[in-house]
Amino acid sequence: MALSINANNNTEAGAWEFKLVGEVDISNAHYFKNRLEAALAEKKQNILIDLADLNYIDSTGLGVIIGAYGTIKKDGFGIKVTGPKDNVKKLLGISGLDKILC
Amino acid sequence: MADRLKLHVPGKPEYVGTIRLAAASVASFAGFDIEAIEDIKVAISEACTNIVCHSHDETDFAYDVILDLEDIKLTITVKDTGVGFGVDNYVEPIPGEVRGSGLGIFIIKALMDEVDIRSEIGTGTNISMTKYLQKRTA
Repeated sequence: MALSINANNNTEAGAWEFKLVGEVDISNAHYFKNRLEAALAEKKQNILIDLADLNYIDSTGLGVIIGAYGTIKKDGFGIKVTGPKDNVKKLLGISGLDKILC
Repeated sequence: MADRLKLHVPGKPEYVGTIRLAAASVASFAGFDIEAIEDIKVAISEACTNIVCHSHDETDFAYDVILDLEDIKLTITVKDTGVGFGVDNYVEPIPGEVRGSGLGIFIIKALMDEVDIRSEIGTGTNISMTKYLQKRTA
């Protein structure tokens, strides 16, 4: 499944900005994980994830986000997601992540 | 009269998307609405992902996906002959508590109308899940 990830260090906002385009599943979740880990290795700070063009995600992708959240939470940082489509929003709700990330 | 599709799937991550698309195609043909089709796509992916991630120590294996389409429901069975797991030891995530473990099965149960998971250590796992065209009223 195709996944495109754009990452940008927004120094003004003090946050990593990620934009996910396509689908995240078991076949490419490691790619998403590697991009997040590389960013956090460079600098730990808040993370903003734009999900407006994400068509599909499952527990593998949510697990990557949970992992990153666990990494930065102890340093007082957080993750916010924006623009999820209805199907993605539904999974954020089922997993309870909407209370933490939205 | 039910229609049955049987797929024998290599236990590789890249084929999970193929199964997801096949299930979506069948669900669309059966008349499920868009939200239900999305539910079915996620549920079957979670079941396949569970097997690909946890079923076997080696990578050269395959598992079976069976789609039984009847007038009012679609039943999906995903089964393997892998290492299995202790179903009784499964602990559901607590909503609001950030924990990735067990999330896949929790999602399957949330999205499908009926879910039956059977697994034995050393024998394998069988996940059967049903979605009704119109959710039944008790």
